[in-house]
Amino acid sequence: MDLIHPPSKGDVVEVLRSASADATRVLIVGGRQHMGKGNPTEVDAELWTTQLDGLVAYEPAEMVAVVGAGMRFADLDRILKDGGQEWPADAPADATVGGIIAAAVTSPRRLRVGALRDTVLEVELVTGDGRLIRGGARVVKNVTGYDIPRFVAGSLGTLGAIVQVALKVKPRPKSRRTLVWNTEDSIAVGLRLLEAVPSPTSVLATADRVEMRLEGWPDEVAAQTRAAASIGGGFEALDEADFPSRAPWLTAPIVAEVSTAPSRLQAVAARAGGNWAALLGVGIMWVGLDSEETLARLRDELPDDAISPVVKGSGGLGDSPPAAAIHQRLKASFDPTGILAPGRFWGEGA
Amino acid sequence: MTAIESAHAELSQALAPERILSDPLESALYARDASMFEGGCTLVALPVSTEEVAACLRIARDHQMFVVPRGSGTGLAGAAVPFGNALVVATTKMNRVLEIRTEDRLAWVQPGIVNLDLVEELRPLGYTFAPDPSSQQVCSVGGNVGTNAGGPHCLAYGVTSSHILAVEIVLPDGTVEVFGSEGPEWPGYDLRGLVVGSEGTLGIVTRVCVRLVPLAPAVRTMLLDFPTVEDCAATVSAIIAAGVIPAALEMMDQLVTGAIENYVHAGYPTDAAAVLLVEVDGLAESVKAQALEVASAAHGNNVRNVRVAETEAERELLWKGRKSAFGATAQIAPDYHLHDCVVPRTKLAAVLTDVYEIVRRNDLKVLNVFHAGDGNLHPLLVFDRREPGALDRVLRASEEIVRLCVQAGGALSGEHGIGLEKRDFMHLVFNDTDLGAQACLRDAFDPEGRMNPQKVLPSSARCGDHIALRGNDAVPNELPEGTWI
Repeated sequence: MDLIHPPSKGDVVEVLRSASADATRVLIVGGRQHMGKGNPTEVDAELWTTQLDGLVAYEPAEMVAVVGAGMRFADLDRILKDGGQEWPADAPADATVGGIIAAAVTSPRRLRVGALRDTVLEVELVTGDGRLIRGGARVVKNVTGYDIPRFVAGSLGTLGAIVQVALKVKPRPKSRRTLVWNTEDSIAVGLRLLEAVPSPTSVLATADRVEMRLEGWPDEVAAQTRAAASIGGGFEALDEADFPSRAPWLTAPIVAEVSTAPSRLQAVAARAGGNWAALLGVGIMWVGLDSEETLARLRDELPDDAISPVVKGSGGLGDSPPAAAIHQRLKASFDPTGILAPGRFWGEGA
Repeated sequence: MTAIESAHAELSQALAPERILSDPLESALYARDASMFEGGCTLVALPVSTEEVAACLRIARDHQMFVVPRGSGTGLAGAAVPFGNALVVATTKMNRVLEIRTEDRLAWVQPGIVNLDLVEELRPLGYTFAPDPSSQQVCSVGGNVGTNAGGPHCLAYGVTSSHILAVEIVLPDGTVEVFGSEGPEWPGYDLRGLVVGSEGTLGIVTRVCVRLVPLAPAVRTMLLDFPTVEDCAATVSAIIAAGVIPAALEMMDQLVTGAIENYVHAGYPTDAAAVLLVEVDGLAESVKAQALEVASAAHGNNVRNVRVAETEAERELLWKGRKSAFGATAQIAPDYHLHDCVVPRTKLAAVLTDVYEIVRRNDLKVLNVFHAGDGNLHPLLVFDRREPGALDRVLRASEEIVRLCVQAGGALSGEHGIGLEKRDFMHLVFNDTDLGAQACLRDAFDPEGRMNPQKVLPSSARCGDHIALRGNDAVPNELPEGTWI
């Protein structure tokens, strides 16, 4: 296995151009935090993006940060904190910005902060055959041709190497609090909270507790806490704590991310064993599993509309997407020789 | 029987004869949208179902016709303007809400539903569809998808793409697919995201799954007036820098407020150089805190007066003023050309100064009414097209404004799209490699180049020769004679 560690965008162009010419299969690697996502792939070389970690531009009054894709999440967060802002990806500290985007990571705070792909304003990508292309713009609103930033988000390094991005960032909450209920009736309690509390940042249910995240102005968080108390039952308040306060599903060998209409989460939970976490009102459930067999069983029993790609461990992406021919043509136009993570995604005719 | 005649016969059979228009007078109504372009079309189809849209596309393919999708026709960039051998497929009769599921925070709607009709249907349930373009009384949700529409409230709530969970689409070959899902994530490329904002070039959307947003429990609307445009623009940056993202942050200059006052009597101060209409929403506690920050930012920048709407009626009147701005311009001149560029927020004041200078040099009048919080400028050039040379001066000034915004690090369009109007400006912001990649995206959906040709990408943009997808030669390169503005 060759390890390639290019120091500049121009070097990435050269590397991929020559890899395409001599059919070297390449895996684009950032912080190695999302390696399990996608179907298994065999490659001849890894291209590390971690030297592309510079800050290109950041002006807090613009709420836009332009960074090299190899910048670590913790480093970006430190820079934004100085501007009183954040990029709400909630990814591991060592994850790179490019890797987080390529894996389309879902934040546990998604109810309030939205989809990660909505925060990618501009992207520079080196295609499989070494073309440096740019899509989007460094402004918060833009309808100028096809939405390449959203297209690249979640593409798992199969279209090209993300080398630089402009991100839409947001003010850091002035106050944050997590309220915790210990209950085995967690989804029902969580749904009552969703009804009773205006604009919570997250309501996360696990098999035996509910954690509700509140963020905003101090008076706002106080009012939300009072609204939460109105549903009855004792709860614990954790101020300025990490969210979620614990995440046992992350230690399982396999973590599947189930996506479904929010009202189906209860039905998924009934089939998911005991180690899961559901984002109520959003429709995401992370399920900690011990083997590919339990994953297969879960997939068999899911409601029809639910989808469950693996985000950690083995087990792949599950069923193939609609419009396979379009996927194949898109893959072929960005990676004509098919050197980028062959098979990790669809689009290889598999 | 000519190809067109056979297409007409087949369409009449697949849909219904009265829903296929070919009379020159009737089809002339579909030869324009709200832009300054006028084209021409051969046939117009008014389908009522996904199956009928699929039939339209199959028949168009069989008879080698181009297809131009159309919603309410309120687009400002010419994306719905047909020409030549084109079948216009208008979705206006597909205007139903199919299903509302508040427990899932989603609704399935047909593309022809009017934006405001959907919003009104959702309001009693405590929810809304957030995109609110100024044309929301008439524009369709399908059109919103086509242009990735914005509106005043997308500052806090995001553009249309953030509010579309899934689309059902008929592809150019007549096959039907659903991209996206009722759940928030899906494996596979974000084909949903590519369709949103594609201006009808990838297929025809036949059902839309929209995300519902809970209505905010409290809202406060304020009107701030300033002695100079610079103070007003500086206040925009100061509000954002204070960590406040208002629900809306709209700026209007003196020519606009004067016209609005004459027209709807909204109580705007006509002696102010510029006003800001600011709306904050959320919990009552959050609204109060945000309003204090907004007032403080304004006081730091020489605000003359901070007026807070005390009643719902007063709030509605302030908004009525803003939303009537384009109509109010008719008092000044019979025609207008509305621009749509985005610049970094911190460059607003400098760019506005230069816009005034460009307009002065070209002996024109401009009204500025725009989404300041997003940096989304809407210089409105008013003129009388009967006056010799006026249109030429407008077009010249428009081009100068586009170049100015691009030089400031901006984008060609924030919410109106590229259409015909700006496709030849695309090379100002993208190089040939970038545009080639976009052409490849388009070809992946529409290998025969049948959907809405000539729109969005300049004719020079080609998917690279090394990619054996197709030759683009089927698509005409130049606009035909008679397509004029």
